[in-house]
Parts: sequence; C-alpha cells; structure tokens
Amino acid sequence: MSSSRRAAHGSPETRAAVLAVLAALVALSCSRTVFAADATRLSGDLDAKGLAEAVAKNRGKVVVVNFWATWCVPCREEFPDLVKLERAWRDRGVAVLGVSIDFAKDVPKIEKFLAASKPDFPNYLKRSGGDDQDFIDAVDPKWGGELPFTVVYGRDGKKARVLSGKQSYADFENAVAALLQ
Amino acid sequence: MKSARPLVALLAVAALAAPILADAPAIGAAAPAFELKTLDGKAFSLADAEKSNAYVVLMFIATQCPYSNAYNDRMRDMAAAYAKKGILFVGINSNKTESVEEAAAHAKQHGFTFPVLKDPGNKVADLYGASHTPEVYVVGKDGKLVYHGRIDNSEDLSKVTTHDLSAALDALLAGQPIAKAETKAFGCSIKRV
Repeated sequence: MSSSRRAAHGSPETRAAVLAVLAALVALSCSRTVFAADATRLSGDLDAKGLAEAVAKNRGKVVVVNFWATWCVPCREEFPDLVKLERAWRDRGVAVLGVSIDFAKDVPKIEKFLAASKPDFPNYLKRSGGDDQDFIDAVDPKWGGELPFTVVYGRDGKKARVLSGKQSYADFENAVAALLQ
Repeated sequence: MKSARPLVALLAVAALAAPILADAPAIGAAAPAFELKTLDGKAFSLADAEKSNAYVVLMFIATQCPYSNAYNDRMRDMAAAYAKKGILFVGINSNKTESVEEAAAHAKQHGFTFPVLKDPGNKVADLYGASHTPEVYVVGKDGKLVYHGRIDNSEDLSKVTTHDLSAALDALLAGQPIAKAETKAFGCSIKRV
C-alpha cells in the first residue's frame, strides 16, 4: 500500500497534514499557484512559465498583461483605466491580466489595493525568488524592468504591442482596438 | 462597435506623440558627456570627474521610489568603500516630480556622501536611455561605458545572491573583463512628465 493510501485511512489530522504537504508539493512544481477565485484578491503567484500559460489560456482573445506594484504611483494611477477597459471590452474579446511585482511581504497591501480597485480580472503576484532579469527577459527582451509595463497579445497569442510607462485609457483602447480588427 | 478608422488615426497620433526613449549607449560606446549641477548648486562635469577618478558610477535614483529607496544604504556604503579605490559614485535625480530641495533632504536623511545631481528636463536620462530607478552606468577610464544595469539581484538585502555592480567594479580594479556587463532589475519609471 502506498504511503498516501495508508495516510488516507489515518486520523483527520494525519490526512490534513498529508494534504497540506501534497498541496505544497503541487505548488512547488507548478509555474502558477492559485490562491483565490475572487478577482478582488490575488489569484495566485506565477513565474514566467505560469504567465505564458495564463496568456495561452485566453487564446482567441486580445490579452492585456499589466505589470504593476502598490509602491508604483503611476501604476496605481493607471489601474482604474484597466478595470474600465476590461469591463468595456470583455464582450468584444479582450481579457486583462494583472501581475504585481510587489515585494512578497506586501501581500496585505496588494489585497487592500485590489479590494479598493475592484477589478473583474485576475491579478497574480510575481513569484519571489529566482532572478528578476530572467523574468523581465522572458516577458520582453527590450523591457528594462521599469513599471508600469503592459504587453498586449493578439488573438493568436503572439505579443503584439508593448507599452512602457503609464498609459491613458485612450492608449489602452487604441492598442486593443487595432488588434481586434 | 466603434468605428475602426478614427481609432487607427488616433493610434497613429498617439504613436507620434509618445516620448521616444533612446536606447542606452551600448557597452563599449562612449559615455555621453554632460554637465549638471549638484544639489548644492556646484557645477559637475562628467569629463572632469573622469579625469580625477579611475571610474565613475552614475546612479539614476529617486526620493519616492521604494525600489530605489531599498538601495539607499547599499549605495551609501558602496560609494564610501569604492571611493578609497578611486571610484566616484554619483547620484542623478531625473524625476520631474522631485524637486532639488526634496532630493537634498533625501540625500541628507540617508547620509549620502556622494554627489547627487539634478537633471532638469531629464536630458541626461535621455542621453543614457535610462528608464527607471535605480539604474546604474559605469564609465571606464577611456570614457567608455563598461557596465549598465542593476546594483544586485534583490531589493531585499537578505536575498541578494548576485552583486553585479560590485563584481563589475572589482573586475575593473583587478584589470579583469567584466563577466556580466549588462543586467536588468525592476524599478520605478523615471518621471519624465
């Protein structure tokens, strides 16, 4: 009998402990970890591979990926426009994903910001650890690491536009409209 | 559905209106010459600094950016340690949103002993293609750019595993080639507007 099957016949505490260990192992082996389905909370953390998977899941849509942080003033300023964009364009085939580059210790600040901003799209935390440069280069080799930063993918899942710095609502609309044609 | 034609026209206008950020000079290219004033109003010329120091480290910094601020102590300590070896560290504040007075108070608060320059109109940031804070450039003895990028690989000092700037400076001092002359890190955008 496998250890997991033996554990399944153990006490509730043992089963809970085994499940917790399994969950941790799954989290460690995945490139994307789901925390919550509620979009006003963090949806999980991800690395570059997890981000690529999240974009691929939306194949057929124009996907706007916005990199932001609570400590980044222009990021906070443009975020409401992304919330508005997603609501206005979701029925026309636009999906928005947020990726917070906040420090791992600042999850409470991120969730406070999301609760106040009320996005209808998922937001992930860039997984801590690893080298930032690898993540930056995987997203876009020309990205210098400045925030905010937005990448727009076409319906074919290919990167189509990169927008460095704070954008206006019109900038976002123009980018998605051009790709929906 | 909105009409596509006006949007395409708008897109073209937006592209023309967007600030065009020059690429950073390549490693090995001449570091662009510039003159600015320090926070206490003294003239600073890169050419003069190159003449009186073995190497010059230009650090684009900010007063309000938490990422830049996470490096305040490291910048102060490295500047002091490398000054003894003939390397001058220079801070450059190119943020339109941060005044000379604010930058001076920030430098005093964090014990900066290196000169901090104000870059009105972010002209020097544009010359170097600097896009965020902190972002550093090292100017070699012949006036050429020898390193561009991050200070190290984590804003959290306890998690730093790669001391990129120190490694580059130590290699220069030892007469060795720099293993990684270009690196990237996250940071706040330089506030050009």
